[in-house]
Amino acid sequence: MTTDGVAARAVDVWKVYGSGEAQVIALSGVTVDLERGMYTAIMGPSGSGKSTLMHCLAGLDSVTRGNVWVGETQVTGLGDAGLTRLRRDKVGFVFQQFNLLPTLSAEENITLPLAIAGRKPDKRWFDTVIDTIGLRDRLGHRPSQLSGGQQQRVACARALVSRPEVVFADEPTGNLDSRSGAEVLGFLRNSVREFGQTIVMVTHDPNAASYADRVVFLADGRIVDEMRDPTAEGVLDRLKRLDITAGFAGDDSARLAREER
Amino acid sequence: MFRAMLRGLLAHKLRLLLSALAVVLGTMFMSAAFVAGDTMAKGFENLFSTVNNNLDVQVTAKSDAPKSEQGNEVVTAFVDQATVDKIAAVPGAARTTPQVGTDGARVVGKNGKVVASNGPPRFGIGWVADDSLVRLREGSPPTGPDEIAINAGLAKTTGYHVGDRVDVITLQPRKTFTLVGIFGYEGGRDSLGGETTVAFSMPTAQELLIGAPGRFTNVDVQAAGGVSQAELKSRVAAAVGPNYTVKTGTETAKDQASETASFVSILKGGLTGFAIIGLFTGAFLIFNTFSMLVAQRTRELALYRSFGASRGQVNRSVLLESVLLGLTASLVGLGVGVGIGYLLRQLLESFANANLPVSGVVLRPYVVIVTLLVGTAFTVVAALIPALRASRVAPIAAMREAATPDKPLGRLTLIGGVVFATGVLLLALKLTDVVKDAVWWMLGGGAALAFLGVAMLAPSVARPVTSVLGRALSWAVPGRLGTRNTGRNPRRTAVTAAALMIGVTLATGAGVFAASAKSGISSVFTNDLNAQLILSTDFTGTGQAGFETSLVDKMKAIPGVQTALAAQADSVRIGGRTLTIIATDVDAAKVIFKMTPKEGDLRTLNAGEIVVDTDTAKEQGWRLGDTVPVQTARGGDYREKIVGIYEANNIANGPILNMADATTFRSPFAQQGYVKVADDSQVGAVRSQLDALVKDNPEVTVSDRSGVIKQSSQFLNIVLTILNVLLGLTIVVAVLGVINTLLLSVFERTREIGLIRAIGMNRRQLGWMVTVESILISVFGVLLGVAAGVALGIAIVQAVGTDFLKLTMPWGYLAATLILALVAGVLAAILPAIRAARLNVLEAIAYE
Repeated sequence: MTTDGVAARAVDVWKVYGSGEAQVIALSGVTVDLERGMYTAIMGPSGSGKSTLMHCLAGLDSVTRGNVWVGETQVTGLGDAGLTRLRRDKVGFVFQQFNLLPTLSAEENITLPLAIAGRKPDKRWFDTVIDTIGLRDRLGHRPSQLSGGQQQRVACARALVSRPEVVFADEPTGNLDSRSGAEVLGFLRNSVREFGQTIVMVTHDPNAASYADRVVFLADGRIVDEMRDPTAEGVLDRLKRLDITAGFAGDDSARLAREER
Repeated sequence: MFRAMLRGLLAHKLRLLLSALAVVLGTMFMSAAFVAGDTMAKGFENLFSTVNNNLDVQVTAKSDAPKSEQGNEVVTAFVDQATVDKIAAVPGAARTTPQVGTDGARVVGKNGKVVASNGPPRFGIGWVADDSLVRLREGSPPTGPDEIAINAGLAKTTGYHVGDRVDVITLQPRKTFTLVGIFGYEGGRDSLGGETTVAFSMPTAQELLIGAPGRFTNVDVQAAGGVSQAELKSRVAAAVGPNYTVKTGTETAKDQASETASFVSILKGGLTGFAIIGLFTGAFLIFNTFSMLVAQRTRELALYRSFGASRGQVNRSVLLESVLLGLTASLVGLGVGVGIGYLLRQLLESFANANLPVSGVVLRPYVVIVTLLVGTAFTVVAALIPALRASRVAPIAAMREAATPDKPLGRLTLIGGVVFATGVLLLALKLTDVVKDAVWWMLGGGAALAFLGVAMLAPSVARPVTSVLGRALSWAVPGRLGTRNTGRNPRRTAVTAAALMIGVTLATGAGVFAASAKSGISSVFTNDLNAQLILSTDFTGTGQAGFETSLVDKMKAIPGVQTALAAQADSVRIGGRTLTIIATDVDAAKVIFKMTPKEGDLRTLNAGEIVVDTDTAKEQGWRLGDTVPVQTARGGDYREKIVGIYEANNIANGPILNMADATTFRSPFAQQGYVKVADDSQVGAVRSQLDALVKDNPEVTVSDRSGVIKQSSQFLNIVLTILNVLLGLTIVVAVLGVINTLLLSVFERTREIGLIRAIGMNRRQLGWMVTVESILISVFGVLLGVAAGVALGIAIVQAVGTDFLKLTMPWGYLAATLILALVAGVLAAILPAIRAARLNVLEAIAYE
């Protein structure tokens, strides 16, 4: 299978938790291509399976059935060593919270993936990234000395510094006030525009999704819609319609089941 | 509330198990020591009551002769035939049996070496025809002067059969006998308690064993029917007069048992001491576990507080947890300990080659009570501080982050500094002799306080020290992260390390002492002793081994020998005190011991003459020309004139008696010989001639200085090894503590681990990160221990302060300790590293 122009791809991916009565289907036959150099947002009501899809794409979670590729690498079937290498070399992460190691300075956190891999950071690229996030004067600070928005920007810089195939961001602005959130989102969009970085972001915030080039809508573990060059209003509109058609009942039980594991 | 707490407790099984294991190990050791000791004591009691089964009254002669250093009466006064007749004539004395029995009949084995004793005596007895205890198994009783019988146990170890020619050393030198009989004891036993026994005909025994023809060591009396032991005792006592000791059979058994009891209680005391040290170490582990459990359960506890639990309730519940934990662990420890105590006794029995008369385990109530109490008390006390801390958790903390950062260390450091300084001051006051009394309070208390102070100061140095040490391990990111993690909770790191420090401190202190003793001894023998060759005697057993003093003339006659001496040593009563003194040719000793005269002459002494050293003279107020009373073990009651006073030195530092009067020492032989060879090149030739001289005496060995030094080093090494094995227990407990701390840290840092795994750290790197932390904690603890131990060793060496101690650092030993710390660190990391590596990345990140 050729993956030209596709940074990550899911083909008929199923994710099932539990069995029998307690069985919960989080993803049911999701097929999606995430194009290279594009900022994609995955949206859906809570429990729609959007986070699960991202985790499966990133190799953090295994799929029950189907196949996942990141770049040329088939993720499904990789062992722990293979997954570790994938995460180290091909993927960058930004989580909702707790992105940084408290014992390391901002700079050390940013270069951590490279250091783990035993690679030297590319000085010019590092400088570019640092200037883009605008935290050059904070590099020596510990995470506890940074604001939430600054911490999240450091996390973004860390995700970018190893020039991964794709950066996965899981509700990166979920814990931030709107101004800090806008900074982070702007920074992510710039990295797509200026450096050609591929970013996949999970969010439930229409405003955040409006920064993306493409929005994929999930409901009940299925892709139900998508939108190019979205606006916040358009996304909100689409979501409302989804809520009416999909409803929440099944989703909530799915989420609860997952949390209890 | 209680039920909820119990559930909380059980939710952390692994951590609980590790802390419990520490208590289990300590209590196990303690109860094992008790049980083994009690069982052995009971065995001896039974043995002696068997031996004295048919004994109603025993008569021995009283003696005011000096006792041995262990306080045992050296059998010196004997019962004569006239007294035996008097006793036999007492109404109610049904059967009177005069006996000869004493320690010190050494059989030469088929290999030409003396059959060694591991502690039990090597008896020589006079054969008594109708002894109720002895059963002749083979051959006939010894009758002639050249005949002996031996007990079956001895026959089995040596492989001798009836008809063999057997050499025996007694008061007299090696002599050859014909083995005519082999005997056992009542109940089919080969020996009574691991002892060996050689039976001679009665006249031979009197001559060879006590050197007193026609006399006896004791007289056993059996009462006629209707006469009680006490009644017979008073009748016999009246008949023999005040110069004899008369005891009932029961009293005799009790006295004999109490002689062994002191050995048993020393053994018990020593083992219990190590058990307490082990528990003390365990207390650190428990303290750490409870601190961390409470810290992690801050939310849980605050939740209880928020719906109305009082501070007292929270306190009580944490304490209750610790009581439950302590009690359960102590019970398990007790159970295992009783089993081990039994095995220990079995082991000792097979080692001593004896069948002790008790086969069951003696479990006294106090063992159960003390073990459970001590085990639980240690646990509860260790949990108390975290409990108090837990109760201070404000309900509002429930809304905050669970892991609260460590409080600042200022106050702790200050208190630690004061405690440390107090301890050091106590030690210094004692060592500089400002305070003369209360030695143990000053030394023990000072050491304990200094130790505690170090433990309290440890947190403030934990971060800087581990970060410097960590540089050696930080060539890559995992090492760096591990180092940073070690510095995150300095208290936790320090308490964990302090537990390790205890065992290491003691082991290092002992190591420094041993090294100092070795080099001290070696320097004394090389610098202060002016003789190249040394004759030494097997010192195990009774101290009766030795060589004839006349051998010194043959030694002097060897070509190349400049001078030589033979020295006899024994405890004597001199000037109202019991002292171990030597008797030798002072003319030779002057050269060989490098003695310098202060007053009078140092020359060969005649009968009735003595020289003393300056220290003794000063202590006793003796002057040149004074006459001092000297009483020796076998009858000598002399008045000795002081003809010379010399400067005390390392080798010669006591009264030296003339050789004529020393013939009545307990042993007529010399125990030590020194030969000064004129020219070093001739030492080899002289040595082979000396070897030839003592060829027939298997209890005497010829060695040069290095040989003697080696022997004493070997002895020190054995002692050190035993000590280290016992201290190993505390180190095992401390390593459990390291495992525990790391498990908790891994648990606390679940999300961090998830994060670094998510950004590409593999399991091997993660494992190394945990291992680095483990190594740093271990090395930090061992460094503290080595530092404290070196200080302790120096303090002891200074406190003892003889020339046989020359302060020396055992560098190899210290290096080995550090390597051990590295290994322990790596081992302790295995379980926590596996746990960390097994964490599911996604769940770890989502973990709260």
